[in-house]
Amino acid sequence: MFGYILRRIALGCAVLLLAISTLYVIVQAAPGDPASAMLGPKATPAIKAAFAEKLGLDQPMPVQIARYVGSVLSGDLGTDLRSRRPVTEVLAAHAPYTVELILAALVIAAGLGIPLGCAAAVRRNSFFDRAIGLLSVSLISVPPVIIAIYGMLLFSAALGWLPAIGAGEGLAERLHHLILPAVAVGIGWVGYIARLVRASMIEVLSANYIRNARAFGLAEGRIVYRYALRTAVAPTVTVLGVGVGYMLGSAVFAEIVFARPGIGKLMYDAVILRNYPVTLGAVLAATTLLVAATTLADILNALIDPRFKESRE
Amino acid sequence: MDRLLQVDNLAVRFGPMQAVKWVSFTLHRGETLGIVGESGSGKSTLIWALTRLLPETAAINSGEVWFEGADLLRLPPDRLRALRGTRISYISQDPMTSLAPGLTIGQQMMDVLHREPWSAREKRARVIDALDWVSLPEPERRTEMYPHELSGGQRQRVSIAMALMLGPDILLADEPTTALDATLEVEVLDLLRRLQRETGCAVIFVSHHLGTVATLCDRVMVMKDGEVREDGPVARVFAAPQDDYTRRLLLCDPAHILTPTRRQPTMADAGTPGAGPAPDPAGRVKTEEAPALSVNGLSVTYTRRGVLPVALGGSVDRVHAVRQVGFEIRKGETLALIGESGSGKSTVARAILGLVRTDGGTILLGTDNLTAADRAGWQAARAEVAMMFQDPAGSLSPRRTLGEQVVEPLVVHGRRGEATRGKAVELLTLAGLDGGFADRYPHELSGGQARRAGVARALALSPRLIVADEPTAGLDVSVQGEVINLLNGLQERLGLSILLITHNMAVVRHAADRVAVMLKGQIVETGPTARIFAAPEHDYTARLIAAAHHDLPTHESA
Repeated sequence: MFGYILRRIALGCAVLLLAISTLYVIVQAAPGDPASAMLGPKATPAIKAAFAEKLGLDQPMPVQIARYVGSVLSGDLGTDLRSRRPVTEVLAAHAPYTVELILAALVIAAGLGIPLGCAAAVRRNSFFDRAIGLLSVSLISVPPVIIAIYGMLLFSAALGWLPAIGAGEGLAERLHHLILPAVAVGIGWVGYIARLVRASMIEVLSANYIRNARAFGLAEGRIVYRYALRTAVAPTVTVLGVGVGYMLGSAVFAEIVFARPGIGKLMYDAVILRNYPVTLGAVLAATTLLVAATTLADILNALIDPRFKESRE
Repeated sequence: MDRLLQVDNLAVRFGPMQAVKWVSFTLHRGETLGIVGESGSGKSTLIWALTRLLPETAAINSGEVWFEGADLLRLPPDRLRALRGTRISYISQDPMTSLAPGLTIGQQMMDVLHREPWSAREKRARVIDALDWVSLPEPERRTEMYPHELSGGQRQRVSIAMALMLGPDILLADEPTTALDATLEVEVLDLLRRLQRETGCAVIFVSHHLGTVATLCDRVMVMKDGEVREDGPVARVFAAPQDDYTRRLLLCDPAHILTPTRRQPTMADAGTPGAGPAPDPAGRVKTEEAPALSVNGLSVTYTRRGVLPVALGGSVDRVHAVRQVGFEIRKGETLALIGESGSGKSTVARAILGLVRTDGGTILLGTDNLTAADRAGWQAARAEVAMMFQDPAGSLSPRRTLGEQVVEPLVVHGRRGEATRGKAVELLTLAGLDGGFADRYPHELSGGQARRAGVARALALSPRLIVADEPTAGLDVSVQGEVINLLNGLQERLGLSILLITHNMAVVRHAADRVAVMLKGQIVETGPTARIFAAPEHDYTARLIAAAHHDLPTHESA
């Protein structure tokens, strides 16, 4: 098991290195250059060239990539072209907001989706099952932006229960501010996870070992949670791991709509301003989050179902 | 003997299908009752119905199951649950799926003891005792292991230990040895017999195998289409079956026919046993021509890498699956490769088909050296060698008709033009299925029909050699003979060479000209079938044959 975890982490690091190189190329290939953006339309070509040279943008691409990867590995992501602060510092200030948003969204998705799916599978084809099915499809169909905007209109503007913008200070305030954006990002996944868990639970509940557990007189609750759900939850863990990527996408919207100072908002602002070091840094942070999430999902799966690691080797 | 369980008029239906038809029987204390029948005869449904453990799609129409003055079919759920595992226990068919994959053996066995007032420490001690009792080596270490880390035979031992741990009065065993190979089957049956003697519990043993039931049981019940056709003491039923179906079943079991014959009696024409010539290879086997397949010094090694790359001092486990194996198959000849699971026989087949990398030796198909073949060479070779897969239903795509699938090898080999419906019908007919099967889907087939479809597909490219991997595994005895007849008949008509991989000694006796015995990756003995059966040279061969004979208790009286 330990070896498996080490291998998964090593693989995750390799993916990250590749992602860093690719990202650098993509950002450089995007239209517009940072010199014009930073120096304004009045800058002469000579000044632009000097600026580019200062940033190393005149070097051949492989050299630039190698230099970038090297500096990333040494913890140097460059300097924010606006604030003149190190990018790592800027990221460190923004990242917690996004991480907490994604975590809260995951808690909502799994915390509601798994029990709902489980209940639907156990009471298959009942009214209850159909109601959960209908709810799931509705949740899947509504884009997070709509939920964000209507949630804000209803709970902040009309009812005044929840704060509309910002991230808050202190634990209670922060959690309070987290509710609306986290629901916006996570609620669509509730339906998706519920459907997924229902399908795999139905399959697992018909397995031979479930009948055997009943034949040994085990209580139904114990059978459902200890025997069936354990196996049935594996695909959900994988999907949620990958889902973090999609949630990061939704987080960009959520952070803009709710004016949360997270990575998504940072990324959006940096792209508009062609603030290359920050853009790259933000995307890198998001990529790291995604790779960490999928790696964690694989490791979790191996812990839940020991056969999983063999199927991945 | 006092009555332990009394079943009256039990009937179970799945939708419109009446699976168990008003069955009544009695089980006495300490008795072993065998229930025999083909797949679909309702025998498993019957025993799972006794404690209401059927799937939701099943409904019990009528009946009473009396156990200690209570009708189990009408007992409140929690009172019934209190009996399960403690007074009435089950062992189910497939050891690969009968244990939960995500929990250790120890956790699952402790769960069985959930109602007992013992401390965790004491429960653990009892679990270890139980594993020791079923002769599982290193019981303490096994409790920490997950089911997938144990072999099939070990898992079945765990299942048995779980079922008997609380000393039940009744053990219901649903085909507990069907998924095991012959030598393991004998071990598990011996174990069951010993445990039954020690505990004195009554056993209902369900099997499609007459011989197994006969060796283990006092009384046997024969089921067909949900009805009990015959019920009586084993010796009487086997010696003088009163029902016509039982009689035919006994006649058609290839294991009961001791004179080798290439034409097995079938259920349809039962009563004319041994029709057809003995397996005289003269004339059919082309001894003077070059062999169809010749394997020399074949070695296959599986490697399993450790955590670190080798360059950094990581470990590499090498498993020598096949070591220095050599044999040849003449044109028109059947060679049986026998040995228990893990002996390497399937690896040999995979090497011949180019599905694993070989580490040494040569495989000559006719005059082509396959071990030196490139991609194109292999492509050509694969047209000459066809595989009949072990699980025919699983190796057919559920979404396409048989007609499309049996000609698929032609499409794969770039002969799409020949992959016509006419060709499909021709192949199906050759395999003994009528042309109408071309429009059917795999789920509409019985086990025997799926097997025939597998044969039809194997014949698509007019191969010279067929590799038949366990062609009768999982088939009812009533159909095994038909499959043997089919392979033998095709061999005579088409001059095929057949590599028969099996652990079913009855099939070997009736279909093979020569036998090669594999043990731990090596061939320990080769010889003509008759000689191998009459005078095995290697101990292991003798054991395999003895294990098969074990299934033939009352044959001299039958």
